[in-house]
Amino acid sequence: MLQSASARRAALALVVGAAIAGCGAAPELDQQLETLSSWTATLELAKERHGAAAISTTYATQLADAARSALGKTEQQIGHAVHSRIDSSYAADALDSLRGAIRQLDAETGR
Amino acid sequence: MKKWGEIALGVVTSIGGFLEVGSIATSVQGGAIFHFQLAWVLVLGTASLAFLMEMTGRLAAVSRRTYADLLRERFGYRFFVVPLLAVFIVSLLVLTSEIGGVAIALQLATGIAFRWWAIPIALIGWLLLWRGTFSIVEQGTAMLGLVALTFAVGAVKLHPDWGTLGRALLPSTPSRDSARYWYIAVSMLGASISPYLYLFYSAGAIEDAWTIEYLSVNRITAGLGNLFGGGLAIAALVTAALVFEPRGIQVDRYEQIALVLATPLGRAGLVLFIATLCITCFGSTLEIALAIAYLLAQGFGWQWSENLKPGKDARFSTSYTVLIVLAAVPIALGADPLQLTNLSMVVTAASLPVTVIPLLVLMNDGDVLDTHVNGWISNTALVVIALLSVVLLVAALPLQLLGGG
Repeated sequence: MLQSASARRAALALVVGAAIAGCGAAPELDQQLETLSSWTATLELAKERHGAAAISTTYATQLADAARSALGKTEQQIGHAVHSRIDSSYAADALDSLRGAIRQLDAETGR
Repeated sequence: MKKWGEIALGVVTSIGGFLEVGSIATSVQGGAIFHFQLAWVLVLGTASLAFLMEMTGRLAAVSRRTYADLLRERFGYRFFVVPLLAVFIVSLLVLTSEIGGVAIALQLATGIAFRWWAIPIALIGWLLLWRGTFSIVEQGTAMLGLVALTFAVGAVKLHPDWGTLGRALLPSTPSRDSARYWYIAVSMLGASISPYLYLFYSAGAIEDAWTIEYLSVNRITAGLGNLFGGGLAIAALVTAALVFEPRGIQVDRYEQIALVLATPLGRAGLVLFIATLCITCFGSTLEIALAIAYLLAQGFGWQWSENLKPGKDARFSTSYTVLIVLAAVPIALGADPLQLTNLSMVVTAASLPVTVIPLLVLMNDGDVLDTHVNGWISNTALVVIALLSVVLLVAALPLQLLGGG
């Protein structure tokens, strides 16, 4: 009984450990760069559409806010996924592009 | 003449009722990443749903009992608890996603955060269920849901390559990112073949007092309605493939999806997208709340009908009241509607065997269906759908972990 209880505790510790490691693990760099580039493209399209009066300022502002939130989340995680100087330079470029796209959309919507 | 009117109404209802939060989100996600390549999944999902709806409708018209009633009577209460629990949990998740869809639509229109809309949506939905009749819920929202035809207009205006799209209607395997491809495929199937759709259809046949004379209405409604409805889901995939995929835009948030119609249709496109999301999700909210209440009432042998005054079927009315409020809570607390939608579609796909496999037995039971038992075409289709449901059950969890991002 004791043996099975300690075995259960060990198994539980393993599962919890794996879950914590899984939750804490940063997504791969490729995936994070893809997300950043997707948001940059989204904001570029939004800027173009707002310029053509195809989308409202209310909506464009929400897109900029959503991108800002994605940027903040990625900034926190991307350090864990960077393993070399080249990785670091890719990450910095992608982050700068998104920051620039946010600034441009903010300017377009008069924020 | 009356029958043709009912057929037209049934088809329109199916078209308007097909698109909802799951099919819009998963079709757009699929098109944004894999261009037209996942269109075949919508064909498979639509055909499967058409067969399941025709069979559960036939079952109700001939036996004058719903699918849930027959499940309990034929297999016993102990067995019935399994589909009851599975469909209850899955449908509650989908109901939450639908409320999230309406809330996001209102956020896009007003700028007020979606979480503030959850409780008002639940209250308006409850009021409609409390005061309305079955035809108001079924036909009213579905008629308004025809605004979803906007996706077809948007797709045509983008001039898709019809040859490529035609080839994509046949199954293919991915050349890259297999885990995500199959994850989205499973989500799309979950969105197309939700159990609530055929359980609601079966209960609706009883509400509308269908008899054997309605078998042709049933066949045409299930076939044509889903054909057009599935066509709209393909149109959503096509617009995303032509607007998002070339620009490298993936869909991580609902806010991005609205751009899909603002590109081909301008300002009207944005307005119509918001209207489509709001109306179709609200219609589905009402249908799912009713479908779960029907299931509980039929399972426990309570009095039930949306056409009765709430006091006459108190436990049934209390069920949808509690459910709709319960489902609004996670959205009010700020749960991400898109993540919730994706999760609920995968879980839905995994739950299919418990409602699909027993149908094989019922549809071949002469005591229930007399001479209207399944022929070889329906049986072949049902066996294929049952096998597919088992594959989805096995694959859903690993794909959620590998491809769910």
